[in-house]
Amino acid sequence: MSVLIRAQGLNKYFGQKHALNNVDFEIEKGAPVALVGPNGAGKTTLFSILCGYIKPSSGEVSVFDVRPGSSATFSRLAALPQDAQLDPRFSIAHQLKFYAQLQGLNNKQSQYEAERTLELVGLRDVLNEKPQALSHGMRKRVTIAQALIGSPEIVMLDEATAGLDPRHAREVREVVAKLSEQTTFILSSHDLSELERLCQQVLYLENGQLKQHQTLQQDESINFYTLRMERKETGFIEILSSLTPVVDVVNSQDKEYIISVINDEQQPPFDVQLLQLCHQHHWRYRQLINGKTLENQLF
Amino acid sequence: MHSFKRIVCLAKFELVRLFLTKRGALALAAFATAWFLILYYLVSSAATIVTSAAFQEMAKQMFGMLGLSQLLKWPVPEMAIYWLLSAYSFPVFALFAASDQTCSDRTRGTLRFISLRASRSEIVIGRFFGQVMIIAILIFVTLLATSGMATYRDSEIFIPALMRSISLFGNLFIVVLPFIAFMSFINSFIRSSRLSLIVCSLFFGLGPLVIGLLEYNIGATTYLDYLLPGVQISDMLGQEKIIWSHFSIPLMQTAFYLVLADLTMKRSAL
Repeated sequence: MSVLIRAQGLNKYFGQKHALNNVDFEIEKGAPVALVGPNGAGKTTLFSILCGYIKPSSGEVSVFDVRPGSSATFSRLAALPQDAQLDPRFSIAHQLKFYAQLQGLNNKQSQYEAERTLELVGLRDVLNEKPQALSHGMRKRVTIAQALIGSPEIVMLDEATAGLDPRHAREVREVVAKLSEQTTFILSSHDLSELERLCQQVLYLENGQLKQHQTLQQDESINFYTLRMERKETGFIEILSSLTPVVDVVNSQDKEYIISVINDEQQPPFDVQLLQLCHQHHWRYRQLINGKTLENQLF
Repeated sequence: MHSFKRIVCLAKFELVRLFLTKRGALALAAFATAWFLILYYLVSSAATIVTSAAFQEMAKQMFGMLGLSQLLKWPVPEMAIYWLLSAYSFPVFALFAASDQTCSDRTRGTLRFISLRASRSEIVIGRFFGQVMIIAILIFVTLLATSGMATYRDSEIFIPALMRSISLFGNLFIVVLPFIAFMSFINSFIRSSRLSLIVCSLFFGLGPLVIGLLEYNIGATTYLDYLLPGVQISDMLGQEKIIWSHFSIPLMQTAFYLVLADLTMKRSAL
């Protein structure tokens, strides 16, 4: 695996505020990476450093083995920065073509690229509109389209689906999933279920510190299942705990349980046993997840 | 892609901004109206007055007092009046036209999209050249109109008008360069075009005053007035003789402010 982004001892101060505190990580080419953390954790600061918008106060950071913002990253790294907007005076086509031309495409290629990227975000029809004529969600999708021009190797999307309706948020997720074979996406979002669906690697920031840097893989010896019930059932935990492979049952939140199970090839599959148990006791379940949710892993 | 191509791409986009947007078209319409009034009421009538026998002596005395007597010898008086008016009005217009090179893009976040595709130096240079091209086109158009007006009055002066136009184009082009570069510098740290214009007004209004007070207090020449774009215009105005400093000062000022703009832009957060 080739390392695309490398950060070592990264610090960023804004006056007295220590926005990033000695952050170390590496991002390899491959599946989308989630950047998670509460508000003010330093996610946007980290995005801005990786894009070359701001400089770190200390530490080393490289993208494709060069300094962020240097010309070697042009056309290879693209981003949707939080709150960045297109120029209201020009049509969408004009601006996307301009960005494509800056990336070295000729007039015909840039026209094709503008149409292709808008098609990807389901906005082919707005090609000749001005940004002001679009809704907030549509403008957001157009800015996602600009990040996809020229099929860059890294695309960083800061809160890409914030403010989008569920249908269009789903479309954006589908685009990310579809393109993630050739592009490494770095996604920041507060929607953990969204990140869970898409990402294999998580960077969790809190108070400027990188708390966890992990891949969403399970311990080989223990399997986890997350079961969401429709209502609270009496004696649920006790009955469930009596099953042979179950090690632990934790009521993680209202009507949600994390079940730890010993991985035993000789036993019938646990998810089958669990569903049979629900059927026998007439328990109505809402969702069964193979593994822990990202939310449960992080918090 | 070569840096040069990106600079050309950025500069071309500035032309589009002026010539193909509603706001740009309005600015152009205002410019054209202002210049129509200047040409029709000032240049045309002043040229007639300057050349009329009744006023010739008075004009000689007045121009002589101002060190402009050389201008009376020009075979195309319209050009002399044009030069007097444009030598000061074009720098002011250049400041207005170039007041939003990067600041609104920075405030809106559009510069973040661009900076992933072009270096900050390329953005500064590209935007600067875009503005230079715009002002050059406008100078060219006004010179064309003035030549046309002069030729309409007397068709025999077409060639002298053309020759003088070429020379004035060169002069005006060099005069406006440091003003545009100065605005590039102001734009590298100010976030609105209105504020840029206010900073400019303060700089050009208070700058000479502060330099004067400083020199008075220390009792020596500081040469700080060379920081003021347009410092050479009053010397150039009479066109008595062409000296090197008329071109070297604005060119050095342009380079100085572009380097400052580049350094500031590189250090600033987007």
